Amino acid sequence: MLKDYLPRDIYNLIIKNFSFNDITEIRMRVNENLIIAIKNKKYYLKDENQNFIKVNSTLIENFIRRISENSIYAYNDNIINGYLTLPKGIRVGLCGNIVTDGNKIVTIKEFQAVNIRIPHLIKNCSLPAFDFIVDDEVKNTLIISSPGNGKTTFLRDFIYQLYAHNISKNVLIADERNEICSVVNGEPAVNLGGFCDIYTNCSKSFAFKNGIRSMRPDIIVTDELDLEKDLPSILEAINSGVSVIATIHAKDLNQLKKKSNFDKILNEKYFTRFVVLSGDEGPGTLTGIYDEKLNCLYCR
Amino acid sequence: MKWFLIIVLICVIMLIAYSVSEQYKDKFDFYNNLKLFLQQFKINVSFRQAKINEFLKEIKPKKQFKIFVDEYQIYLKSGNLNLTNLKLLDEEEKEELSSLVFNIGKFDAKTEINQLENFLASLELKLTKASEDKNKICPMILKLSLLFAIGLSILLI
Repeated sequence: MLKDYLPRDIYNLIIKNFSFNDITEIRMRVNENLIIAIKNKKYYLKDENQNFIKVNSTLIENFIRRISENSIYAYNDNIINGYLTLPKGIRVGLCGNIVTDGNKIVTIKEFQAVNIRIPHLIKNCSLPAFDFIVDDEVKNTLIISSPGNGKTTFLRDFIYQLYAHNISKNVLIADERNEICSVVNGEPAVNLGGFCDIYTNCSKSFAFKNGIRSMRPDIIVTDELDLEKDLPSILEAINSGVSVIATIHAKDLNQLKKKSNFDKILNEKYFTRFVVLSGDEGPGTLTGIYDEKLNCLYCR
Repeated sequence: MKWFLIIVLICVIMLIAYSVSEQYKDKFDFYNNLKLFLQQFKINVSFRQAKINEFLKEIKPKKQFKIFVDEYQIYLKSGNLNLTNLKLLDEEEKEELSSLVFNIGKFDAKTEINQLENFLASLELKLTKASEDKNKICPMILKLSLLFAIGLSILLI
């Protein structure tokens, strides 16, 4: 897939030196060496003479030209959010000079760094937690981990497991950054089963409000919750009898407790399950499952 | 035999004159088609926002856009613009066209539309000049050539 986007010599070096299926990230920063991440380890890419491959701004510019198919206007809504989604669920994070018009972000120019994240489906990775989340009903669940530790992978597998367990509930996915489903041309890049309706590239408030009205979901799944901004949407869903499965960035429960509005979540019992993931034994390691009073139901 | 040669001479001169005048018509057609192409592209950017490749695929079957679309597709593949096929443009015009092609698709929608509007405005001037050339120079070339051919024929007789 990346063959079409990366310069041929760099792509060939990557293929020659690494197993593509193991790569989780390819990082390019202007005037720095190109880095390949495999699980939690990082490697520099070297050429035949063992020289490091140095990234320059032209390389990044050409890469962005290719991934946007010479049509920045068609991708700008994503670019201003700092990412682009490629087929097969590959996500490209972008950093650079932000161009603003008043308070509005117009675009990003002079790209400084690119992070190509290659998703890996880990089948059944959510199964150890599945029975804690699903019994007669699907419990409102918050999945907690630091970035890159498998929240989205867990979420994808959990959605698929609902289908695989024949729990025929309508699942609405509010995929704000097109990370969960990686929809390209209306087609999700991952198999999520047959019960999913997907909103991509829209705010959670839009997806929750309109989804509840028009798609009659039983479960709403969303990524990267912002406790300040997204709480009203969550509340609206829960009060409408819709279960919510969401993820949030935090290393562990202690860190989560420090976030504003978490007290409210806990006191009002918005979520009745908290699943903590870590990268201890690779991304997606299940560290703990807690109930609404933060009693440990499963501790590693 | 003499009369036959004179008719051939007149035909040859008129043919040359016709091909010269055709260049002015071609240039007018090229700019007119480029204007239509950019107008359609502007509509695409402001509403559908289809990617350039998709847009070119849709528009290519329309014969009048073929020259420009072919050139542009070569540019997309190779990263270089080769305008050697466009013999009807002078160097300055080729440079302007190159700068348009290099800039297409590299901006957000609002800037892209502004850019297209600017180019369309400058294109309008070229189009007016090309239209004037077509309407004035073409008939003039044909008339003068005919006169020249007749004059030469009289001299030869």
